[in-house]
Amino acid sequence: MELQDLQESVNIKMIQSGEKERLKDLLRERLAECGWEDEMRALCRGFMRNKVTNSVKLDDLINEITPKGKETVPDNVKAELLQRIRSFIAYAV
Amino acid sequence: MSSKINGQVSPHSCSHLLQFRRRNGPDSFRALQDCLRVKPPGGRASIRRDPAEVPCCQACGESGSNRLYACVTCAAVSCHAPQLTSHAAAHAQSMSPGHEIAVDVDRAELFCCECRDQVYDQGFDAAFVLAQNTATTTTGSTLMQYSAEPGNLRKRRRVDYRHWSPDSRECVTMTNLSTPLYDSTNSSDVPWGLRGLNNLGNTCFMNSVLQALLHTPLLRNYFLSDRHNRYHCQQKNVANNDGKNGRLCLACDVDAMFSAVFSGDRTPYSPAKFLYSWWQHAANLASYEQQDAHEFFISMLHRIHEKEEKDQGKPHSQGSGDCCIAHRVFSGILRSDVMCMACGFTSTTYDPCIDFPLDLEPNRGGSAKSSSTKSHNSCNVEAERISLNKDCSISTLKGCLERFTRPERLGSDQKFFCQKCQVRQECLKQMSIRKLPLVSCFHIKRFEHSSIRKMSRKVDGHLQFPFSLDMAPYLSSSILRSRFGHRIFPFDGDEQDAPNDLSSEFELFAVVTHTGRLDAGHYVTYLRFSNQWYKCDDAWITQVSENIVRAAQGYMMFYVQKMLCYRASEK
Repeated sequence: MELQDLQESVNIKMIQSGEKERLKDLLRERLAECGWEDEMRALCRGFMRNKVTNSVKLDDLINEITPKGKETVPDNVKAELLQRIRSFIAYAV
Repeated sequence: MSSKINGQVSPHSCSHLLQFRRRNGPDSFRALQDCLRVKPPGGRASIRRDPAEVPCCQACGESGSNRLYACVTCAAVSCHAPQLTSHAAAHAQSMSPGHEIAVDVDRAELFCCECRDQVYDQGFDAAFVLAQNTATTTTGSTLMQYSAEPGNLRKRRRVDYRHWSPDSRECVTMTNLSTPLYDSTNSSDVPWGLRGLNNLGNTCFMNSVLQALLHTPLLRNYFLSDRHNRYHCQQKNVANNDGKNGRLCLACDVDAMFSAVFSGDRTPYSPAKFLYSWWQHAANLASYEQQDAHEFFISMLHRIHEKEEKDQGKPHSQGSGDCCIAHRVFSGILRSDVMCMACGFTSTTYDPCIDFPLDLEPNRGGSAKSSSTKSHNSCNVEAERISLNKDCSISTLKGCLERFTRPERLGSDQKFFCQKCQVRQECLKQMSIRKLPLVSCFHIKRFEHSSIRKMSRKVDGHLQFPFSLDMAPYLSSSILRSRFGHRIFPFDGDEQDAPNDLSSEFELFAVVTHTGRLDAGHYVTYLRFSNQWYKCDDAWITQVSENIVRAAQGYMMFYVQKMLCYRASEK
């Protein structure tokens, strides 16, 4: 099976079993707990404040913040999610 | 075009949204209501035509990494990646005009593909909140329980502040009937009314709280403007012939103390009469032992309230803010939402409060909180502690408040009886502030009593506190707003006559600190007068620098609203 197909089928399984939603909830919880969410909010505020015009578009904001956000996710959160995904795959396949 | 709803400025609508509404009329989003899916616990909403649908982009089949938008006109789902290709934008252009507005399938929020920005529509948001409420409760309405009917919910008219100055006749009356202060020239530059209080034998717990109360602007103005006259009060009591108990009035002693402290005399004052009165009110605390300053604070306010209630002959609900001076100044209302994790039924209660008890240590707060985290992953508690220490090695007052208002999953040992399921269920609890008191007192729980280990201990950690504090994020309206996502909709606490944002701005004026151990410690109060800090250590008053205050171990913090609104009194 092609890698892409495999990814797609795992993805669909995750959605159908509801595991994806659970993972999303867990991630949200963890990111709020460790202060990452507040950090991102502060970054967004800073970005908007530095703009002269009053109209920052959602797209601009996402473009600007996404790379920084991906970088600053704490390693232990990544590790925990990875662990959960591994055990899901082991269970499902 | 931008209008104000409940103090919130709604952003400009984009021309595409306006056109869409004009074409489709008031029921533009009717079809979407049937697609709204709400996950019961937590109530996060998404858009799905069929509950089991796995949405994916019609153009590329993408279903995972990018945002997915459903066109509100033709229901086509397209992906949108801000940096890369946007099939949503392509869809809008190819089908133009009329296909610009789309809805985020995972957030149920509106987006304009042409402007590439979030858009807001009041009708959509109102319908959304309604649908979400119906979805979570199914009974159609959220059941509200009032443990105490918040009396202040009745609308009050705001009145303008009118300056008053005495006319010549009133001037004469005032000079004739009052005794001038003997040293009104005030030679020193120490603020008026700053006077040491003698320690009467382990009474620093009392002195520290009294110093804070004596310099609470609203209490000071109340007593110095003769609103509770002790001579008048005594006469009234004799006339009523209340018996022995009725003659006791703690407010009278407070009045006497205000007179003495603001007399201009700088020598330390002995609040012996006050202490004696308080002992009579609280017999169980009558001893020369060290007491808890916070307990004293609560007990004292309670006595003042009790007396007033007895005099007026009708019980007031605490928190209504209409009863005694103590509650008018300090009482607020807490809102507590308990949501059943099985069916999403939410029960809301309102409780009056005199202060805000805050946990200092994140992992110690509720046993339930840590146990729920443990159930996820036992090693994670440790990891969380490490990351917390890394990010904010010092705890802050704002952090404490955030934890206070954060949703908390109650553990299996604290199950809650759900009225809809008719059984005890696991649930999610969230606190928020429904009504802010005029003076907010934060009580940091530094003394911990464990019933299991049968011992008490003191939590010594340092707590950073700001001199100026915005309480807006902890209000019920903000908490509910964040629960429902980004919506333009009036939530609890958004009253129509809601004062502007300024009323959530608070300013620090007194800090009661504790040094030493649990059984042998000392209370000292720091007071602020126009940006100058003074240390009140029993009889000794010294001017101190800001840094000393910041470094002190705060136990109780007193904040006053920066801008007080004048409201028409009901009396």
